Amino acid sequence: MNQQSDQTLHERRRPDAPAAVVAANAPSGANDPDSAPQRRDNESGLNLKPSGRTHIQSSSSLEERSAQVSGQTVGHIAVENPIFMCRDVNVFYGNKHALKKVSVDVGRKQVLAMIGPSGCGKSTFLRCLNRMNDTIPGARVTGSITLDGVDIHDKRQDVVQIRARVGMVFQKPNPFPKSIYENVAYGPRIHGLARGRADLDDIVCSSLQRAGLWDEVKDRLRAPGTGLSGGQQQRLCIARTIAIKPEVILMDEPCSALDPIATARIEDLIDELRADYAIVIVTHSMQQAARVSQRTAYFHMGDLIEVGETDKVFTNPRHRLTEDYITGRFG
Amino acid sequence: MSHEFPPLEGHISKAFDGALASLHVKVIEMGGLVLDQVREATHAYTEWDEEAALQVIERERDVNSYKKTIDSEQLLLIARRAPVASDLRAILAMSKCVADLERAGDEARKIAKNVIGTGARPGVATSRDARHLGELATSLLRLSLEALDTIDTARCSEVIARDEDLDQEYAAGLRRLLTRAMEDPRHFEVAVEAAFVLKSLERIGDHARNLARHVLTIEPDGG
Repeated sequence: MNQQSDQTLHERRRPDAPAAVVAANAPSGANDPDSAPQRRDNESGLNLKPSGRTHIQSSSSLEERSAQVSGQTVGHIAVENPIFMCRDVNVFYGNKHALKKVSVDVGRKQVLAMIGPSGCGKSTFLRCLNRMNDTIPGARVTGSITLDGVDIHDKRQDVVQIRARVGMVFQKPNPFPKSIYENVAYGPRIHGLARGRADLDDIVCSSLQRAGLWDEVKDRLRAPGTGLSGGQQQRLCIARTIAIKPEVILMDEPCSALDPIATARIEDLIDELRADYAIVIVTHSMQQAARVSQRTAYFHMGDLIEVGETDKVFTNPRHRLTEDYITGRFG
Repeated sequence: MSHEFPPLEGHISKAFDGALASLHVKVIEMGGLVLDQVREATHAYTEWDEEAALQVIERERDVNSYKKTIDSEQLLLIARRAPVASDLRAILAMSKCVADLERAGDEARKIAKNVIGTGARPGVATSRDARHLGELATSLLRLSLEALDTIDTARCSEVIARDEDLDQEYAAGLRRLLTRAMEDPRHFEVAVEAAFVLKSLERIGDHARNLARHVLTIEPDGG
């Protein structure tokens, strides 16, 4: 037994050890963000070497389970009986290639979270699903997007009907400048979903109940929707969306303008809504994506890098880029 | 374009890097202290050195103190940073390593306590067996700490394999001890205490093996 080397291991770890070790133990925290300990060589202490991970992790299970259609996405892009099936979707804003051959399914009655750094294409992809990109001058979409097996870009498709089936909730709550009642009743009325006043009342009541807002507004349905708090307005927008009985709800950072309490209520609501709807949510919060979704898709510079079960993506992602992003190693 | 970052490093937030590094260093420091304790406890028993034994018992407080500090730091790290993926695995692995190191420290203290008071001094043959087992346990613990230091999965595999050798050495040592006890029942008390010492050393080997297994969970795909 080499006592000398044993003593070296312990000696250099004692509190009166060399400065490198002491420096590492100095309070750094938020007060000194540049105080990360320097990497040390073998003689004095830690010697953190590169982990040697390849760009895409290899394992036999990856080859068995991977279902790459586009050739660039890691993980499971396909699900059973999807509501949306997207294959090789490209989006161009003029000459800018914003989304590159994205292929992914959206499952029924589950939440798909889309994460990625700013400008990666996640909101662009979200807008493809209800053809909101049609409203952007110069935007061009190629590839196949089918809703219940039917191409949403088919000339025979009514885009208004598509947007009724695929509702959307935006980042900034945007209630109509109408009463709370009218905010929710407007959609069913113009789509002819109510036979009469009583029907409309039922729809408004059940939608507000479903959105968790009924108890707070039942005595003031004639009050303006814009008079509610931010969190209430967002729930009003969700009630408005579900009033026309969509099949899919798209949410573009629905909580980013809300306080933590309102956010928690919206997240609970999302969990309840997935019993009846497919939900696709774009979020900048990794923790939110981990909490509310069953599948997570990571976008990077227009590419869909990885998609898979949320639990697995956040505990053991397969792709190096996903790992780096969710652990905060690059933005 | 991403770079390959070493485990525990490379975050945009340098404060996060610093906090993880600080935690890692403390765990290695604690490991070094426990390693020293095991070596000193084995020496105290085999050489019947009461002063060394008292030092081991006294220093056990430092081992426990390390555990408290590390537990507290980990809690803050989790609360502040909500770590995921490799960071989460690393923090959980280190938490488990600390628990195993603390138990290894307990075993060292138990060995040392035999030397104090009415403890029965082992004979030449028993001392030789205890010394040999102590060297194996210390070597295994040192190897596992080196694996934890550099997150080296190859060393982890070596530790796990070598623990089986230690287990076999323990079994052989125990058989020899029992044989001697049966041959000379006057030394039965010594044999009983020696058996506990050998068992403690075998358990220290198990804790070293556990350390290696925890380190393997940091990079489950082999890094």
